[in-house]
Amino acid sequence: MHMADALVAPAAAVAMYAASGAAVGISIKTLRRDESTQKLPTMAVASALVFAGQMINYTIPGTGSSGHLCGGMLLSALLGPQAGFLSMVVILAIQSLFFADGGLLALGANCWNMAFYGCFVGYYILWRPILRSRLFSGMGTAAAGRMKITLASILGCVLTLQLGAFSVVLETTVSGITELPFGAFCGIMLPIHLAIGLVEGLITAAVLLFVYEARPELLMEAGSSGQDGRCSLKATLAVLAATAVVVGGGLSLAASANPDGLEWSLFGNTEAGYSGNMGLDEDNFGVSSAAADTAASIQEKTAFLPDYAFTQSDSAVGTSVSGIVGSALVAAFAAVICLVGGFFRRKSRSCEK
Amino acid sequence: MSKVSNARAELREMDELSARTSPIHRLHPLAKLLVTLIYLFTVVSFPKYSFSALSVMLLYPVLIFQISGIPARLCFHKLRVMLVLVCAVGILNPFFDRVPMLTIGGLTVTGGVVSMATLMLKGVFALTASFLLIATTSIDRLCAALRQLRVPGILVTLLLLTYRYVSVMLRQVSVMTEAYALRAPGQRGIHISAWGSFLGQLLLRSIDRGSELYQSMELRGFRGEFHYARGGGYRAADLCYTLCWAAFFLAARLVDLPRLLGNLFV
Amino acid sequence: MLRVEHVSFSYEKEHPVLRELSFQIASGERVGLIGANGAGKSTLMKLFLGLLPCQQGEIYAGGVLVSRENLTQVRRTLGFVLQDSDNQMFMPTVYEDMMFAPLNYGLRREDAEKRVDAVLERFGLTELKHRYNHKISQGEKRMAAIATILAMEPAVLLMDEPTTSLDPYNRRKVIQAIGTLPQTILIASHDLDMILDTCQRVILLSQGMIAADGPADVILRDRELLEKNRLELPLCLSRCGR
Repeated sequence: MHMADALVAPAAAVAMYAASGAAVGISIKTLRRDESTQKLPTMAVASALVFAGQMINYTIPGTGSSGHLCGGMLLSALLGPQAGFLSMVVILAIQSLFFADGGLLALGANCWNMAFYGCFVGYYILWRPILRSRLFSGMGTAAAGRMKITLASILGCVLTLQLGAFSVVLETTVSGITELPFGAFCGIMLPIHLAIGLVEGLITAAVLLFVYEARPELLMEAGSSGQDGRCSLKATLAVLAATAVVVGGGLSLAASANPDGLEWSLFGNTEAGYSGNMGLDEDNFGVSSAAADTAASIQEKTAFLPDYAFTQSDSAVGTSVSGIVGSALVAAFAAVICLVGGFFRRKSRSCEK
Repeated sequence: MSKVSNARAELREMDELSARTSPIHRLHPLAKLLVTLIYLFTVVSFPKYSFSALSVMLLYPVLIFQISGIPARLCFHKLRVMLVLVCAVGILNPFFDRVPMLTIGGLTVTGGVVSMATLMLKGVFALTASFLLIATTSIDRLCAALRQLRVPGILVTLLLLTYRYVSVMLRQVSVMTEAYALRAPGQRGIHISAWGSFLGQLLLRSIDRGSELYQSMELRGFRGEFHYARGGGYRAADLCYTLCWAAFFLAARLVDLPRLLGNLFV
Repeated sequence: MLRVEHVSFSYEKEHPVLRELSFQIASGERVGLIGANGAGKSTLMKLFLGLLPCQQGEIYAGGVLVSRENLTQVRRTLGFVLQDSDNQMFMPTVYEDMMFAPLNYGLRREDAEKRVDAVLERFGLTELKHRYNHKISQGEKRMAAIATILAMEPAVLLMDEPTTSLDPYNRRKVIQAIGTLPQTILIASHDLDMILDTCQRVILLSQGMIAADGPADVILRDRELLEKNRLELPLCLSRCGR
């Protein structure tokens, strides 16, 4: 589910960075200072383990295929949602930097799709309510605990993966990457991830059950991280609101685009007012790094550039030939650079000898 | 080779690359990070049919590869996963978008084909640029640059610590996978009966490791404040590097350079 | 330098780990702490460092009572070398790991670096300075871990199994390095040959009490005493004895 850089438009990337950035900021603020320093090493070791653990193949009985671990639910159950979210963000950053899973630009989107839903939505909407509920209370404490953990893990993984897959579809569609109609794209992505979510949920449940048997206090501590009921209700509502804003915003962008599906592009479609929308979001979240400024300036420029491929489609043939010749020249130039570079390297190597 | 040992090898490779020396390695990490980000933004901002305009962005990775002496082979290896993904998303474009764009010798190229090719090219460029950043910058210097960009200290410290323990954990997981495979011949993965205990064992052990780690930090005077290596000053050369590339990228984005070049000859 | 007075400790009420322990270690002494698994060696180490609260009795390090209020001062005096060097070395490179403690104690970066360079040079480890912690060998890592602690300039070194999982060559190197240190040293280990090589004095713990305390040469030659406490004669001595 890692999105590659090529699949997000700059505006979508910036918006998702802003959303994930806000979640990071709030997480850091919520974690009390002493708590966060004390937890830091455990967070680091646990996220390193989850990173490695995601590479383990779990055989699914009766099929030839294998499933993998869902990190977000596991980490937030063990460390609490805020620490779990930060750990997941770091895992995603390492995957994008060192293993080319996802990309630097798509990192914001990936954090949202895989870390935010898994940690916050999964925790506040499912994990904690289920664990605190009186479900299965007729079965004795230990058995009820086991049932609740299993139920919460499976439901949590299914729900958060569905949300994540849906967000991938939204982001790709809004970015104008694919010509595939929105509904059809959803029809492909969601069922696949329903199956994946079920398996991931079972694996997560198995791991958490093992922890519950061996060291129950680890799960219970995170389940009641010292906040009173009202505060936690607030957190639940905030998580719901954030999800609604991002999913709803993406949906309305996708819906208000040309339903014929040819022109989803954020650029050159000024009448739909995308650029205006995205600009607003950016101001609200107060992104002010140099990179964002540059991106914004590029966006401004591109917003009023005519989408020449469409408007001048009659003359497209004439211009394209010179374009192809030019591209070929660029490639030739690149080859020359390689040759020169190779020549200098050989020379310096022979000098060393 | 298993996934885990592949990952270990990949990690080792990246470490070795970033430990080399070259003019690119010596640049301030912040300069490289900014240039990479600007490059990525520029590349993905190209309109979907502008294959030829985008092609000029090839010059950046080619130049950096040559100056830094990083072998491009390693990067191609990483492309495979990403290309499959991008391909899967773009593959339908030729079927849905049949507006003819160009006819060469009776062969008509439709808009869908052009947009898919552009998408693939964007993917390759973006991945290559990120690869070059991390292949020429060591993780500690990158973290120092992130701090200078005001990324919260907790996150940067967590990144640094996690990176340190990724290799430790990969080793543990691979040892345990091997031990499992030796006693379970013919199984390709972990059987359902061991789903929980396999990772659970490691998880418990790593939580203990986490607390021992914290003790060891505490014993050496840690009070929540991390001291980062200073990446050295941001010199004029670094500024020049950043500005030159930024200007080039902007020019390439606003003006269709290959077409101008082609017009000289056609 | 280290003083233990009537110290008792238990994790669970019915099972005391240390019982009424009392001993002293003078400045510059090198002492081996031996005993079977579960004899209380690690617990004692943790009490010195203030990682566990002293339930009964008092411990002094460098003349300062080990207590919650004095922790910073105590921990500056004591350097603890962990058994698992991976847990000791948590920064990406050796250099940064060694800088960690001096910087935390408020040294300027330049001064700290001088100190780090001096320690590295003394042990011939200069080549390791900018290497990645996850890429150096087991032996190098152990030496670097000891160097990391020495960069703190502690007055007392506490070492937990400094020679485990090392090959004979690297083990010898660690033993030689310990031999050159001027600090007061307390080593907890099952490697009795190493203790014999490095320490003048041995404290033998058994079920939370001191079973013997005296010159290493005497205690480590006492086959009966050692075997009673689930230990064996050091290899080099048992072969000589035959």
